[in-house]
Amino acid sequence: MSNYFYVAPEQLIKDRAEFAQKGIARGRSIVSAIFDVGVVLVAENPSASLYKISEIYDRIAFAGVGKYNEFDRLREAGIRWADGTGYTYSREDVDARALANYYAQHLGDMFTEGQKPLEVEILVAQLGNKYRPTKLYRVAYEGTISDEEHFAVLGGDAETIKGRFAELEIGLHLTLAETLQNAVSALAGPDRRVPVSDLEVGVLQDRGDRRTFARLTDEQIAALLV
Amino acid sequence: MGLPLFDAQGDPGPSFVRFAELSGLSRPPSTSDLSAHATTVVAVRYAEGVVMVADRQATSYYVANRDVRKIEAADRYSALAISGSAARGLEFIRMAQLSFEHYEKMSESSLSLEGKANYLSPLVQRNNLSSQLVVLPLLAGWDLAHQRGRIFEYDGAGGCYERYDFSVIGSGSPFADSTLRLGFQSDMPREGALALAALAIYEAADNDPSTGGPDFVRNIFPMMVTLTFEGFHELDHEVVADYFREINNRRTQTGGVAGGTLR
Repeated sequence: MSNYFYVAPEQLIKDRAEFAQKGIARGRSIVSAIFDVGVVLVAENPSASLYKISEIYDRIAFAGVGKYNEFDRLREAGIRWADGTGYTYSREDVDARALANYYAQHLGDMFTEGQKPLEVEILVAQLGNKYRPTKLYRVAYEGTISDEEHFAVLGGDAETIKGRFAELEIGLHLTLAETLQNAVSALAGPDRRVPVSDLEVGVLQDRGDRRTFARLTDEQIAALLV
Repeated sequence: MGLPLFDAQGDPGPSFVRFAELSGLSRPPSTSDLSAHATTVVAVRYAEGVVMVADRQATSYYVANRDVRKIEAADRYSALAISGSAARGLEFIRMAQLSFEHYEKMSESSLSLEGKANYLSPLVQRNNLSSQLVVLPLLAGWDLAHQRGRIFEYDGAGGCYERYDFSVIGSGSPFADSTLRLGFQSDMPREGALALAALAIYEAADNDPSTGGPDFVRNIFPMMVTLTFEGFHELDHEVVADYFREINNRRTQTGGVAGGTLR
């Protein structure tokens, strides 16, 4: 005979949330912000090959913090979903909001019904055009989805970094260089400098091509941070 | 479609075709034989890469379409041309383009040119063995690893063969092929390769009723592209028009015969 102890649902949720938060807090944070002509995603990432920021579709980018294998699976699922939807209907019909909702549902399901909640936070960024707005959707470990204005911060240190970022000049009139400088200084904080080699930067911006995502090289990042 | 998540065993990896099959996105080939087809496409290697030229006509019982684009950029450094069933061919190009991009996004690195060529083999095989709507593609591109232009042609069963000189597909092949065989030299300069490839298409259109030539009335000309270290480049309409006007003028002067030379 096995013994099951009663655990109040409030306690269960609290335990799971704590578990997920602890996992997420272990990694470095990500800042994403909208600038005058695009969206920039900035991660502190010492690895040059295990990316946290990725292209999902023509105008959609992805960022994940927490456990790498967990958010990488979500990244792959996002690419499959986007390519599959674009193939079935049209490239124009691939919408970041729909994808963010699917992520939210999955994370929500895993949080309440999974063996363990996923220790990740996800950002889905969309570069707007005539038909769609520029958007940053943040999806938390328990499936909460939020539509962030101007900028979003993911990770354990999110609140602190958010505070620092909010103190700086924010606005859709800022250039990529200004926005990137703000993001990096918010990530670093007052008494630390993040070396360029530890920065991973992805940008969604119209350059005349269908695909708008670009990963910046260390040289490009250094040039923008001068 | 919900979020397509797979466990480690069932994961389709970076192949879009495998994923499309697993999730039921692929459409099974139909078996009607009513289709627009017939084509001539040539690919010629030259000193700095590959030139590709294709006619623009789709033919059913009558001319179905006069401005079909039979060459498409498969990605930045490669081009895919089709002959055979237009419906299946365009679907084939779409699937290939999507697959190369899908692979690139999934694995954060692009497929090698040889990888792309091999990937298409089973697609050709499956299409052609399950449907009467045969498709034969022609893949050409700039190989970034080996720094040279390369051409891959396919047979009906999906066999993939690299060609080191030139390749021709479509119903006008015999005429285009003869022209290229007489005119081809290895490491030709760009101008010579473009002129020769244009002449091959002109010859094919002159002799094959299902290949469209330059259409001076509608101002529609064959498609000309180059693949070099700079990637896929489609020649401007006016530049293409000049190549064909020149050939046409020469032929007009001699009453339609080449006169014993490649001209």
